[in-house]
Amino acid sequence: MKEKWNFVLYLIWFSYLILSAVLMFGHGFLLTRKTLNDVTECLSLNDINCEGRDRGNSTLKDFCTEDEKIRRIIAMPGAPLLCAPTKSRVIFLLVDALRYDFTEYDQSIDKPLAYQNRLPIMHQTIERWPDRTRLFRFMADPPTTTLQRVKALVTGSLPTFIDVSSNFAAMELQEDNIIDQVTKGGGQVVLLGDDTWSRLIPTRWLRSHALYSFHTWDLDTVDTEVDSKIYDELQKKDWDLLIAHYLGVDHAGHRYGPNHPEMTRKLNETNERLKKVINMIPDDVLLFVVGDHGMTENGDHGGESKAERTAALFAYSPSGFGGEGPDIALGREIQQTDLAPTMSGALGKPPPAPSLGNLLLPVLPKMTVSHTLLHLVNNLKQISQYMVRYGEESQQIALEKLAGLINETRDQIDKAAAVKTEDDLRIYVTNVRLLVDNIRNVFREVWVEFDSLSMLRALLLLLLSIFFNWLITEGLPMERLTLVFASSFVPTGLIAIALCIAMCYTAFYFKILEDLEHAIILSTGLVSGGMACVLIIMHWDGITQRWYEGRSVFYERFSRSALVASAAVLTSNSYIIEEGAGLSFLALSVMALMAWNVGTLKSLALWVASGAVLAVSRSYRGCREEQGDCWTTGSGTATGQASRAALVMALGSTAAVVAIARRAIGWRGHGVVLAGLFACAHWALGWGSLGSPSRSRLLGRGAWLVLGLMFVLLWKKEIHGAFLPLTVCCLLFYVANALVLGAAYAPTAALALLSGFLALNLVSILKSEGASKFSLSTRCSSSVACLWALLASYHFYGTGHHATLGHVRWAPAFHAGDPNYLAIGPPITAALVSLELFGMPLMFGAAVPLLALWGRNGASNVGPRTQLAAVFSLCLKFSLCFAIRVFACALSATIHCRHLMIWGVFTPKLLFESGACAAALLGTVIGATLTVWHVPTQQRNS
Amino acid sequence: MFSLNNQLELRRVTISSLITCVYLPSIVTVISYKGLLYSVGNASSFYILVLIFIAELLKSFYFKSVNDLQSKKSKPSKNKAGDVLKSFVFLLCVMFSFFVGIILFGAPVLDCHEETLMLSALLTLLTVFPLILHTGVETSMQLLFGVRQFGKDTIIEMLVNNALFTVCGAWLGAVVIPLDWNTPWQVWPIPCHLGAIGGYLISNVLNVLKVTLMSAAIKYPALNLLVSALNKLQISK
Repeated sequence: MKEKWNFVLYLIWFSYLILSAVLMFGHGFLLTRKTLNDVTECLSLNDINCEGRDRGNSTLKDFCTEDEKIRRIIAMPGAPLLCAPTKSRVIFLLVDALRYDFTEYDQSIDKPLAYQNRLPIMHQTIERWPDRTRLFRFMADPPTTTLQRVKALVTGSLPTFIDVSSNFAAMELQEDNIIDQVTKGGGQVVLLGDDTWSRLIPTRWLRSHALYSFHTWDLDTVDTEVDSKIYDELQKKDWDLLIAHYLGVDHAGHRYGPNHPEMTRKLNETNERLKKVINMIPDDVLLFVVGDHGMTENGDHGGESKAERTAALFAYSPSGFGGEGPDIALGREIQQTDLAPTMSGALGKPPPAPSLGNLLLPVLPKMTVSHTLLHLVNNLKQISQYMVRYGEESQQIALEKLAGLINETRDQIDKAAAVKTEDDLRIYVTNVRLLVDNIRNVFREVWVEFDSLSMLRALLLLLLSIFFNWLITEGLPMERLTLVFASSFVPTGLIAIALCIAMCYTAFYFKILEDLEHAIILSTGLVSGGMACVLIIMHWDGITQRWYEGRSVFYERFSRSALVASAAVLTSNSYIIEEGAGLSFLALSVMALMAWNVGTLKSLALWVASGAVLAVSRSYRGCREEQGDCWTTGSGTATGQASRAALVMALGSTAAVVAIARRAIGWRGHGVVLAGLFACAHWALGWGSLGSPSRSRLLGRGAWLVLGLMFVLLWKKEIHGAFLPLTVCCLLFYVANALVLGAAYAPTAALALLSGFLALNLVSILKSEGASKFSLSTRCSSSVACLWALLASYHFYGTGHHATLGHVRWAPAFHAGDPNYLAIGPPITAALVSLELFGMPLMFGAAVPLLALWGRNGASNVGPRTQLAAVFSLCLKFSLCFAIRVFACALSATIHCRHLMIWGVFTPKLLFESGACAAALLGTVIGATLTVWHVPTQQRNS
Repeated sequence: MFSLNNQLELRRVTISSLITCVYLPSIVTVISYKGLLYSVGNASSFYILVLIFIAELLKSFYFKSVNDLQSKKSKPSKNKAGDVLKSFVFLLCVMFSFFVGIILFGAPVLDCHEETLMLSALLTLLTVFPLILHTGVETSMQLLFGVRQFGKDTIIEMLVNNALFTVCGAWLGAVVIPLDWNTPWQVWPIPCHLGAIGGYLISNVLNVLKVTLMSAAIKYPALNLLVSALNKLQISK
């Protein structure tokens, strides 16, 4: 039976197809950016002497003017940044979703729409004091969601969904930003409004009145609260920067759309507010009224359409602004990245380190030539530093390109010394602006734009492999399946793939191809699709025959539709948020129908028991922010230390599982018991203040050692077939899961194991038509695989996880000591954390062959060929279920790429679903390999 | 499902279904005009259950009376009180198992017991209660545990079908709860409550429709297509 390995090879092939397509989708969809935690520093004018050098401790009196000093610094190419000597205070009024056309005023409109001509105060101020007021189009970069926009406004950079940084989970901003710059220099910042700010940048505030911002249907609470505080704050003198974030306009847009009387009401309120603020504003204060993004005609935002990107910037200063000519024209387009360097310039601080913005001279107070030059040079120096650092940390941008940009920037810095007159300055400003725009565009290309071509290609590849493999599992008759795998189909396919890779690599070597990975994935996917297609055409008669004859039972059809439904609802954010409940509902419905089909008291008892298990696991389910109730009561926050009751539960559940299971698995039971004992001792010793952390860690390592050893021993040949090794494998995965889940969540692993056990028993008593012996069509029907996939997906939630980045727990990486001291630290950390997240799909995947083998009438009694075919078809069906779910996730991410919650709900779901899919595929391959390894050799009977 | 042989049974099925089609919508309309539709889950709306109870009771009297007319020998009821007690206990058991089942399917475990109880009471009333009224406790128990098949009895078949539709309606009702529309009726157990009533109603409407179509199909054979399509909707097979 040489061909038995073909089954495993085919499963690996299928897994490769799915995962590579998912990877390709991810490359097109998930834009990444490396965050650096550099901070810009600047020297104050008093700290340097007349030669432009650091004065150190000498207290000699200077004999030169401020202007001369600045000139000297500018003339020195390698000099550090110099703080701007003048500074003003700033009011930063963020009106969420203030689109530019809300701010326009046109008297000639007879019947203004709900949002037109509602902010006349801006127009009146411009008429009255043209040199004190500016109104610009303020172009946002996608993703146009508030969190990303706030990040962009304070850092001056272009945040993407995933800002890769050292601490991935925390929401806190890791990069240099205006707030940090202000507080570092001893300034004070006051925050009013949206709590996005206080979550991004906690504890830097002099006073903060941050309010929960997620109730998108509540138009007024936040605004009235801010109004009640802002006028008092305006009277005070102790702040340098006042941030007020109004949410009403955005929420009105989300709830009613822009063209609605509620929007008129909110804009009128904004108008009154502005009038009041402009009247009260002290002379040394600049006012910036800013929209962070626009909205579509439905009131949504998040995407990259013109309406979403065009926000407004209104600036007012009682002492007047600089700038002239076309620069100050009404409605000029400026970039949102420009605000951070401009605001920090106004506050007398250097630009934040990651900023890629231009200085907006038209909204800064009038300055002398040397001061303007100082600001410009500071900006250029910071940008060139950032480019150097980014080039060191990341290879996203080609090195030659980056080097060219850095050289150009340095040239510009050198040229600054030659600028003497106003006319020179004007030319210089234009050159700098062109250069910075160019630099930003280079970075934007890699950070901001979706690669829709590779997204679509990945979707196509996923669809191809799902469709053909579905035909193979559902259509191909069982007896032909063994024939196909005994033939040269799988080797041919693998050779074809190897050829593809070789050709792509050759083309890449001779520089015909640019993107090697993309080409390999695409060509192998297409070739595999073609081969599967040929296979299906060759066996079309068998497939049609089977479909013509076959008529499935009701529960089968129902469970298939339940799986498809569980995938289809992934296009709706509310179902993703409540997915745990939905999956348990569907799984229980499928089991109820199966129990109904069996119709005995035993099946009823099994159903009730599984229902009870899932109900108990409900108390461990996590809570995410969008769920509201549970979040505000605080049950969503994970507790670090397990309570006494939780510890008892953990010890009890592990001991019970190990003690009961040990009897059934022969000599291997001792190993499982040992691992369980180690795990229990690890928790018990590590608990509370009395424990000894170091010994606990040692015991944890002991548990892993035993687990590893047992896993190796699994491959010792077993004469009685694969049943025992598979059971042991599941138990080992159980102990490993319990270990990484920690004492607080360890019982959930036991619950998952129990529910799997109950489902196995239920499946094994399903009625088969005709013969009482093992019936392939019943035991390997897709309903069983669907039920198993639903359970596996449910237990992701049942073990206290949620599909948000905030729910990733990092403690498991350190439970047996800090792996970062090891040379192979990062892979160990990644493996432990992903085992903690996706351990359940892995365990259920490894248990898939048991579905066919379990019970008295299982496949263990039939010949090895039939046994293998049964196990293989179940494995493939189970993998297909996960592939379908991933496909639905990817599709919904593509459809919703402009949705409000794309970065909050859909993308995390896609990430976690791909992880679960990968784990399930890996588990299936492990289970199938074990089965193939242990399958008894062919007996020639009959 | 129905055969045309027994005209009398057909007539009874039609009339009882018609009665249901009238009284259930009127109850729902009245309470929704009173503005009480969203309180169907509370114990304060117990009167709805009482109304349904009375209506089902009356329907069964109608069945019985026609039965008596047809087959003169009415069964001598020896211990009526005992029967009533037995069926009451049986109904309580069924209600409790519905209660447990609903909680296992995802209803809140520790709170909202009142609402869950009301829903299970409604389900019991719409599914098992008519069966008991028609066949008595023992037969319905046998039916439930699969000891006896309901073979050819048209009325029992109809009742079982109604029951299955009711349960399906309640099951489907749960689908809308997680959606974020923030409407007042998305609260446990209102959608399931209304779903159960809706399922029962739809089943009855289908019954009437089918009987009408079948009698019309004698004249116009083309309608047989529709009848067979309706027969496909039968869950109780």
